[in-house]
Amino acid sequence: MCTLGAGPYRRGMTTHLHEVPLDRDDLVVETRSLTKRFGGRTAVDGVDLRVPRGVAFGYLGPNGAGKTTLIRMLLGLTTASAGEMRLLGLPLPQSRAEALAHVGAIVEEPRFHGHLSGRENLEIVAAVRGGGAYRLIDDSLERVGLTARARDRVGTYSLGMRQRLGIARCLLADPELLILDEPMNGLDPAGIQEFRGFVRSFVEEGRTIVLSSHLLDEVEKTCDHVAIVDRGRVVVQGSIAELRDDGDPTVLVETRDPVAAAGLLAGHPAVARVTADGPAVHAVLTDLAVVPELNRLLVGAGQDVLRLEPAQASLEDRFLEITTRLENAA
Amino acid sequence: MSTLSLTPSRSLVAADLVKLHRRRGLVAVTALLTVGAMTITYGIIELLHVASPATHGPAGGIVNLGHGAWVASALGAVAAAIVGSMAGVGDLEAGVYRDLVVTGRSRLALYRSRLRGGLVFLLPFVAAGYALAGVASVLFADGHPVPSVSLLVTTGLWALLQVTFYYLLAFGIACVVGSRSYTIGVLLGFRLALTPILASISAIGIVRELIPGVALQGLTPAALGDAAQQGPTIPMSTAAIAAVLVVWALAAVVAGAWRDTRRDA
Repeated sequence: MCTLGAGPYRRGMTTHLHEVPLDRDDLVVETRSLTKRFGGRTAVDGVDLRVPRGVAFGYLGPNGAGKTTLIRMLLGLTTASAGEMRLLGLPLPQSRAEALAHVGAIVEEPRFHGHLSGRENLEIVAAVRGGGAYRLIDDSLERVGLTARARDRVGTYSLGMRQRLGIARCLLADPELLILDEPMNGLDPAGIQEFRGFVRSFVEEGRTIVLSSHLLDEVEKTCDHVAIVDRGRVVVQGSIAELRDDGDPTVLVETRDPVAAAGLLAGHPAVARVTADGPAVHAVLTDLAVVPELNRLLVGAGQDVLRLEPAQASLEDRFLEITTRLENAA
Repeated sequence: MSTLSLTPSRSLVAADLVKLHRRRGLVAVTALLTVGAMTITYGIIELLHVASPATHGPAGGIVNLGHGAWVASALGAVAAAIVGSMAGVGDLEAGVYRDLVVTGRSRLALYRSRLRGGLVFLLPFVAAGYALAGVASVLFADGHPVPSVSLLVTTGLWALLQVTFYYLLAFGIACVVGSRSYTIGVLLGFRLALTPILASISAIGIVRELIPGVALQGLTPAALGDAAQQGPTIPMSTAAIAAVLVVWALAAVVAGAWRDTRRDA
């Protein structure tokens, strides 16, 4: 296990939080040194990504980090400049057709022929997919709750309905893997919650979901595993629980005067960062062993310490921690 | 839409056909440029003839078949440009092309299917329009020479060839440039404005024979006389005409396929 502390992390290195070797059959997506350049700009920079089977995997990063470009390469929408890709264990682009036959995907916002009904749009994709896709149309529409509106023109659908129709279109492949690019964009809270429900139910069925997003909170609530991408590079990947646990230790301190407490803590050499949150102060430490010393420091300065306990870092904390280190390392 | 549960390639074509048939505007414009144009043309001529037989001849006969064939080919080429460009980049412009590509189906198969689907959509309109011209040229002959079955068939094939040729050009060009409006503009400009101008400039010599409109005119059934002509006819061998048309059509279709299979979807 590799910590994300001050020691080993540096730009250009992908940190795998959980180094249990996974068999190739256990990986639905595997890339090695995958690179995409647009002229002089590198959008995806030597990405090594490993997505285990049967999880909801968040591909998390700010806008412009290269998330969509990576997805487009995996789906054969654009070619890679360098590197290797495997989808469902099959090499790309050599076995593209065979691999994609078991993959459903929504790239950017779901688009349809607006002059056709929802059902007709699915019938067209079923014709393109061939096989038993046509027989899955009714079930797919029912699954996403669009049976009643299936004969209406898609041009009359709301964004949420189009998103659900996009999911139905994915289901025509009876997919082992669903790749969803920024699926929560533009959805209202009810739509987001509904979408989260879809994702979890697909995972329970044994399908794998790769979900790209810049919304930390959504990835944390929806996904089991995550890769954090920054400026075209995957900087860390692993389970969300591991990611939370593997960061620098954090303690929550509550005193009667949080401002003074934050000032005292910030001056200690073993405290990397202090954030005040109402009556509580979160202190990110470089070493958990200094906690008694911090307690003495506060008490010695006349502070009444009401609470002093380990704090569970959020994904957002970890994301900020990592990106802050990247900025400092650059 | 049970037609989509056919063999894989036929169901693909059926799917592309549905996309076009459900576009009411496209259906209306195509019908207007083919069946509608022919109905209006023969209807007006016959009405004028009925109203004033002394000054207006009948709508039927060989000469008016030539006029009808000219209308069918000229407006058919306009319909071909519209339908060809729609079949070529309709998916791309609707943003669904990438969703079809990610199914794993080869881009070439999608290309072939769209090409065939557009033709299956277009040609029945052109054939129906020409059929009206054929029927009118016999029914309303009123003493004028009636076209033979052979002339009716060859004229019909000539009109279908023209429309098919311009359809292939439109389809290929649309796939190359990725835009319907540019394709229609370029093709109509070339067909309706540039071709007659270039064909009338004898100083450019053999270059005129490389213009598809000139080559197509060389195939006009001789029995129609000047009625189906647009500009001067330049003598060309049938082999040369065929070579010019095949090279143009192949170049457009191959370039379109090349671009379609390589574009970032």
